[in-house]
Amino acid sequence: MQKYKIMRGVRRFIIFFSILFMSGCWSSVEVEERGFGVGVAFDIAEASENKESTDSLKKDLLTVTYQLINPNPTSQDNGEAVSGRKPYNNISQTGDSIHQIVRELARENEHPVFMPHLKVLVVSEEILKTLSLDEILDFHFRDNEVRLSTLAFVSSGKAYETLRTNQNDTFPAFRLLDISGNEYRTTKLLTPVPLAKLIGKMHSGSSFLLQNVVSSNGEVKFSGAAVIDGKTNKCLGFLNEEELEGYTWFTGEGEGGVIRTLDKETDQIVIFEVDEMESSITSTIDGAQIAFDVSIKSEGMLSESWIDSEEAIDNEFIKRIEKEIEETVAQLVTGVLEKTQQEYEVDVMGFGEHLRINHPKVWEEMKDDWDQTFSDVPITSNVTVKIVDYGSRIVK
Amino acid sequence: MRIKWSILNNKVKQETSSNDIKQESKDTLASSDYFTGDLTEDIEKMRQMIGHNSDVHFRDLYLGETGIRATLVFVDGVADRHLINKYIINSLMYGFPKEVEPAQSVEPFSSFIDYIQHHVLSISQINQTRMVSEIVLDVLKGSTALLIEGSEEVLNLGTGIVKSRNIEEPISEPLVRGPRVGFTEVLRENTALLRNSGKNKNLSFEKFLVGKSTEKELVVAYIKNIANTELVEEVKRRINKIDIDNVLESGYVEQLIEDNVLSPFPQIQSTERPDRVIGALLEGRVAILLDGTPFALILPVTFSMLLQSPEDYYERWIPGTLIRVLRFWAAFFTLTGPALYISFISFHPGLIPTKLTMSIIATREGVPFPSLIEALLMEIAIEVLREAGLRLPKPVGPAIGIVGGLIIGEAAVQAGIVSPIMVIVVAVTAISSFTIPQYSAGVTLRILRFVAMFSAATYGLFGVILFFLFLGAHMVKLKSFGVPYVSPAVPYRVSDWKDFIFRMPILLMKRRPKMMHTKDSVRKS
Repeated sequence: MQKYKIMRGVRRFIIFFSILFMSGCWSSVEVEERGFGVGVAFDIAEASENKESTDSLKKDLLTVTYQLINPNPTSQDNGEAVSGRKPYNNISQTGDSIHQIVRELARENEHPVFMPHLKVLVVSEEILKTLSLDEILDFHFRDNEVRLSTLAFVSSGKAYETLRTNQNDTFPAFRLLDISGNEYRTTKLLTPVPLAKLIGKMHSGSSFLLQNVVSSNGEVKFSGAAVIDGKTNKCLGFLNEEELEGYTWFTGEGEGGVIRTLDKETDQIVIFEVDEMESSITSTIDGAQIAFDVSIKSEGMLSESWIDSEEAIDNEFIKRIEKEIEETVAQLVTGVLEKTQQEYEVDVMGFGEHLRINHPKVWEEMKDDWDQTFSDVPITSNVTVKIVDYGSRIVK
Repeated sequence: MRIKWSILNNKVKQETSSNDIKQESKDTLASSDYFTGDLTEDIEKMRQMIGHNSDVHFRDLYLGETGIRATLVFVDGVADRHLINKYIINSLMYGFPKEVEPAQSVEPFSSFIDYIQHHVLSISQINQTRMVSEIVLDVLKGSTALLIEGSEEVLNLGTGIVKSRNIEEPISEPLVRGPRVGFTEVLRENTALLRNSGKNKNLSFEKFLVGKSTEKELVVAYIKNIANTELVEEVKRRINKIDIDNVLESGYVEQLIEDNVLSPFPQIQSTERPDRVIGALLEGRVAILLDGTPFALILPVTFSMLLQSPEDYYERWIPGTLIRVLRFWAAFFTLTGPALYISFISFHPGLIPTKLTMSIIATREGVPFPSLIEALLMEIAIEVLREAGLRLPKPVGPAIGIVGGLIIGEAAVQAGIVSPIMVIVVAVTAISSFTIPQYSAGVTLRILRFVAMFSAATYGLFGVILFFLFLGAHMVKLKSFGVPYVSPAVPYRVSDWKDFIFRMPILLMKRRPKMMHTKDSVRKS
């Protein structure tokens, strides 16, 4: 009886495992046989890039550039870099749909593109003026390989240029990723927008900003931001660096940075380092007339001052400097308000969101043409800056 | 949940009835099995049974001045020659009382034998017997038979000596802190070690004989007022059922009484440490000690016991807990290390951090095998090395380990057969497997590791999860002497979790494990 039981168990075991392993190595692809895409750039197709095509449907709308990890940049023997070999490999393809372009790449590259490691996504301004973000990014939102943590950027030049570098040891895609992490050092950087947040912004109907990247000769710089229209999801224009700074102060989203100002009495440079930043919107509604008031508060450190030290050591002086910094910030804020209200006539600062939460009935009436309404709304701002620290300089 | 001991009880009756038959057949044996009183004939009987052996000695002598012939039969080496010379032969030949007259003494012979037993022989263990086969067995075990002319009674003198080694630290279970005492091959010394570990009048040793052709003594140890009676009865019943000609080591007993023969998991724990046995007894478990092996068996066993070491209790509870958690992690990694490697490399490279992916690609570039073959190559190599290191003479072992581990690993990477990451995985896996305090549990995990590797190579992480599901299903179903194998996790008993993955302060462990259904549940009040 016992023996019979054991034999039955063994037989079951064998049957079970042969069934389990009968399927073979299902969808197994070794790690070195994949092309890891870490960055992607979208550009408008140039006429000269047209390849001879047998497909009559093909319209050649856009050029997509994928940045792949180059698996073997260094020789195994001594670890020294082989000259001329870069750690990445940019491959471009022109076509009218993204997924088709991705599959076309398999005809040119030995390792098909594998997307989960995609870090950055750069869209050129040019293409954003003709196509909407919705159209360009549809594949990346639908595809199961793409992670929603991929960061989105706009480039005012050619987008594929931002994925180039002259150095052999840097990854352009990682460079973009790492720069966007420096938000705590400067107010001229926008909070990075991953695809997960982008899709919400795109469908909310309100306009928003995307970080702009400019590039030349393999160098990149984060400069200003692109204004994306909430209705069409197309690029309206740009905010320059100061306006972006003003935007950061306006929203209070900055994590750190400096404000440079000139002391009027001595005409010397004074630098204020932001430690905390906070802004709150209050609205007053009088019939159909809406008015906003934004109060911005900041605490920080007097981190650099070129003013003669004899003078720069009493509370009077600190008060004066605080005033001057407040004025500088107010100028920045006014600058961005003018630009968005008068030139672009879109609300990127989130006044609509404030209205929706605090005055839902008013918002219901106004939401359809909010951007037009917004451009005429009076907005006042008051800035309070407090210097809480001035380092190891002595104050009387 | 109630323990069901009675499932297999119906077979006990058969066993006892067959014993009765044996008894009867013994009685009806030919009278040739009894001593006749004729010395020449009796000696001839014994010679026929064991006389052909070179180590059996027949020593003829006369009892003092009486002129009565007698013969001592003993086995050289097993019987204590010094004892025989000084206290038996000397007493019988020179110390035999002169006043005993042969004529007078021969008449009531039984009283004469009694006289010798009570007045002449100055040794502690002595008894009388009339059966040849019985005394032959005892002689082979070390006793000396004293045959006297005219007597049907034969004296069985306990002269056996037991060769034993010194008590040493157990080789298979060393500890940093704890008694440096291990069991030896001598059963009586082992039981003495248990007795010495603390006076306890309830500590019971029940003796059994196992093996048909070579009888061996086996002791079932338990604490009377703690251990569950049904458990003890079940253990005894299973031991009585053992029907094999020879039990060489306690491993035989383990395999003959365990619940599930097909399971990869050991359902009985073997240990060389008396402190471990005592600890288990106090938890209400039962121990089995076998003569001739230093390995005692502890049962029932749960999975967590295989990852626990006595040291966990000797150290304070914080380091004890930390080390135990570490051990659970190491066990997990031993089981799944290469499987996770395979599934990440071949199926889910998206789950590896990007920069790590880059370096893995760089190192795997040029490796001709898929990750499964690569992992199999290295895992088999390390298992072979481990086995070789075990079998090699002690001075050579470590050298081979170094040669094998370092040189082969390095050369395999240089030759591009495996990637350096694989070598790391294999090395970490191997090291992790050594943290498991129980050798048999370590082996189990090593075997299951290969199953996990194949599952991973088939379905990736999904396969690893499937493997765990099947493993979990099996472990939950498995029982060791009625106690669920993965308790207290399943069935869930919060109070027993104090001594599971964590080791809570002894102050808090007031009760014995509930899963053991002990008679006396309070450990500390």
